[in-house]
Amino acid sequence: MFNLNEIFILVGFIQIALVAFMQWQIYISSVIKTFSVGSYFLAAFLLAAGYVNGEPYLMVLGFLTAGIRAWFIPGFLSRMLRRDRWRARELKPVLGIASTIILSLLFAVFGYVIYTWTMYDYVHSAFGAIPVALFLQGAFLIISRSNPITQLIGYLVMENALYLFGSLFPELPFVVEAGVVLDVIGTVMISGVIVRLKEEPAQNTEVEDSTRREDFTELRG
Amino acid sequence: MLLILSILQLLYVVLLAPLAAGVLAKTEELLESKKGPSIFQTYYDLAKLFRKESLVPGVALPFFRIAPYLTFAFYLLLTLVLPIITAFPLTFGPVVDFMGGGLVFGAAAAIKKLAALDSRNNYSHLGTSRAASIGALSEPIMLLIFIMLGVISHTNNPYVINNILQTSGAWYGSLVHWFVTIAFFMVLIVETGKLPIESHSMGELGMIDQSMEMEYSGRELALYKWGSYMKHFLLMNVFMNVLAVPFLVPMALSIPAVLVYALINFVKILVLVVVFALLNESVSKYRLFKIFDYVAVTFVFAFLAALVFFTTRPGGGF
Amino acid sequence: MIWIYYLPVALSGIGGLLCLIPKTRFEEDVSIVASFATLGASILIAFMPDASSFGLYVDGFSKLMQLMISAVYVLTVIFSIHYLDHIENKLFQTNLYFLLLNWFVVSMFFTVMVDNVGLLWVGVEATTVTSALLIATDNNEVAVEATWRYIVIVSTGLTISLLATIFIYGGFHTLSLNALLQAPQATKIVSVGALLGIIGYGTKGGIFPMHTWLPDAHGRAPAPVSAMFSAVLLPVALYTIVRFVQIVPLESVRNFAVVLGSLSVIVASLMAFSQRYYKRMFAYSSIENMGVALIGIALGGNAFIGSVIIILTHAFAKSAAFFLTGNVLAGYGTSAIKDVKGVSKTMPLTGYSLFFASLAVTGAPPFGTFFGELLIMTRMISVYGAWFTILIASFLVVAFIGINYRIVRMVFSEPDGQYKHLDDNATVPIIGLAVALSITFLTPVIYMFLRGVAVK
Repeated sequence: MFNLNEIFILVGFIQIALVAFMQWQIYISSVIKTFSVGSYFLAAFLLAAGYVNGEPYLMVLGFLTAGIRAWFIPGFLSRMLRRDRWRARELKPVLGIASTIILSLLFAVFGYVIYTWTMYDYVHSAFGAIPVALFLQGAFLIISRSNPITQLIGYLVMENALYLFGSLFPELPFVVEAGVVLDVIGTVMISGVIVRLKEEPAQNTEVEDSTRREDFTELRG
Repeated sequence: MLLILSILQLLYVVLLAPLAAGVLAKTEELLESKKGPSIFQTYYDLAKLFRKESLVPGVALPFFRIAPYLTFAFYLLLTLVLPIITAFPLTFGPVVDFMGGGLVFGAAAAIKKLAALDSRNNYSHLGTSRAASIGALSEPIMLLIFIMLGVISHTNNPYVINNILQTSGAWYGSLVHWFVTIAFFMVLIVETGKLPIESHSMGELGMIDQSMEMEYSGRELALYKWGSYMKHFLLMNVFMNVLAVPFLVPMALSIPAVLVYALINFVKILVLVVVFALLNESVSKYRLFKIFDYVAVTFVFAFLAALVFFTTRPGGGF
Repeated sequence: MIWIYYLPVALSGIGGLLCLIPKTRFEEDVSIVASFATLGASILIAFMPDASSFGLYVDGFSKLMQLMISAVYVLTVIFSIHYLDHIENKLFQTNLYFLLLNWFVVSMFFTVMVDNVGLLWVGVEATTVTSALLIATDNNEVAVEATWRYIVIVSTGLTISLLATIFIYGGFHTLSLNALLQAPQATKIVSVGALLGIIGYGTKGGIFPMHTWLPDAHGRAPAPVSAMFSAVLLPVALYTIVRFVQIVPLESVRNFAVVLGSLSVIVASLMAFSQRYYKRMFAYSSIENMGVALIGIALGGNAFIGSVIIILTHAFAKSAAFFLTGNVLAGYGTSAIKDVKGVSKTMPLTGYSLFFASLAVTGAPPFGTFFGELLIMTRMISVYGAWFTILIASFLVVAFIGINYRIVRMVFSEPDGQYKHLDDNATVPIIGLAVALSITFLTPVIYMFLRGVAVK
């Protein structure tokens, strides 16, 4: 009924397009929403894979993904936004938005090239290029933005890419997947605390980029 | 027979293009819960303009007067070579392919820009520089889209592309095709000056295309306006007939089928017009420098189509 | 008797939970009891046979790691109790501090005993989760920024090692260490996995390309936390790399590890030489030591034993060094080297032991680091030739001179009265130094432990 390969390609490229879309968005809340949409697609893929292969284990994983990556984590992150949600945004992008969008695309292409040159012979699946591209795009999202929540989203995009990559192989042990999910939740929670701490002084002093200040000299070199 | 159909297609475009614009204006007003102008208002406007006196700036060259006629002629030529009511080439079909069509569009735009510069009007200069800088980025994307269509069909012929997408469900459903379609839709918004790129208010801050014809009046202005209605109509046709909904276009010579399809085609265009109206009513205009971000996203979609092609072709990889 | 192997995790975990009971100073007593009990359990395990069932993989190397973790754990808890009073603007209550400290230890014990490469990743990532907030204990903007860098860089690096885990699984279709270590033939995909694994876990272990979080975090964390990070967290990351090298003992993987290790040594030596803050300087010294240890792990044989000796000596000496920098920071109120003068006059115990700790971590003769480096260099000459060995050795000398010169200037100069309140509490660091020194004489015991483990 379904062709899993096609669903994989569809979901993978939707994710890549969504990351490019995140690069476009200045407002944090829309980045979070975009991530949520991407995770729902991932969950849908896992459900479809579980249905086609007749494996309840994958379907459980799909529901877990929908619940945690698509619903809980984005909800948690948008509650982190202290100011009005529609106003929280990237104050000073490191690069121009248009150039970061193009660079993100180039990273995807780079991922594809790297994959076909180095790993394709071992994995024997052309589709592996999609998660690798997504992985590099997530890394670039972290580099190109200075807002901590967007950086966290970049990390989660990388995690999603690995999830997608893992689904290319016969199923990983469930304990491992569950442990990974637990760790991701833990990381997000801890980061939430740190994000709050980071935003507090920024709010009081209205200094946009606090890392340029005098007390931060120690962190250089 | 083909010649008759060619003339029919020419008349179809020339006569119905203002109607599509009129329907767009009416729909927008209706969406704002207003009564709105008649859908034939564009025709009344054109008729009125043809009756008016033409004034030309004293400093302008003779070229300034010729430009509207030239661009109108270019659009008439394009009418004869694109698949609008038929999916088989008409008499003039072999004259140009997609690339050539793009070049003719570009030539018309260039003439318009030169004439606008010639008018010595500051606002025209402003609009020209904006149109040129956006065009410099959006036209390569158009080229990329054509290349990807060439990848699908191994040709640059719009008729062949239509036939392939119409008959091959695999290509129609492929991600390559849909990424190209999305990219083309986004370029279409830029080229036809819809929101979020350009708002058609009288404020000069957001003007791009509008401000280039500021010094024109009377018959020349009418031709410019009519020409741009035709340009939009043609681009919408390319989008609907070649990319988004290539179905039902008659592939074999049959007069009744072509006549029936002419009606269906206009319905397709009306659907797209309603989509544009919804878009115009629901999004707000980007600041000018943000347009380039938008163009970058368009480029991403066009390029992703290439990446999808490489990933999914049999055997994959290089 | 299999339950004994779970005791370290269980005891420190329960100790962490009991810290939640809101009773004044109760969490400190609980943590001391838990840490000593854990140390006892680790010693007990050291006398038991290797275990490789019930989700466990405990061999001689794991036992040594457990002993090291629990010993440093004891020292850290004792030192923390006193040291926390120096921190004025704490991020959270002391019971939360001890809760996180205990669970941090739990995650490390978990990492060194599980029999599953996937759970190994889970354990290492769990150390990030449990330790991140500890860095920001001293609540100020710079510490928060350092914490954020720690989270982002380390988590990103660890995603690479998750990718590596997937590759390992793709190659062997199992993640169990028992099965992997007996797997017949390493395929190509697995070697890609091992390379990625070295980069990924190297992030956590302060290995070259992604070591940048380390000086920030070590420089800004409170002294006991820095000690814990440097002494046990980095070795735990190296532990995972040891497992990867054991699973895929290919030439390419080893050479790659040697390259990364050498680059770490070079970069860290140069950076340590030009530091203006003493805690950051010791952080770079940690990178340098881990780099040398990684080279030893990659070379295998006696060099691996040398690595373990370095890791163990470094654990106790570096934790002592960080405890002492805590005393200096509390006394002088500054982390800049130029503002600290005459520690040997103002705080004699702290001053002299800081001098010896600095000698120990840079590889001065009576200490194990020297003999470990000697073992590694010997092996290196036979594998890579003399010139490369001399290059690495000269950078070690650079670090030795740079660090000790600054420490000597801090310790044996005339005090200029720029200190707040002096608290010459150096019992714990002196014990640490004594243990570090005794490791030199315990080399035969270490050799006995590692007999079955040696990297091929």
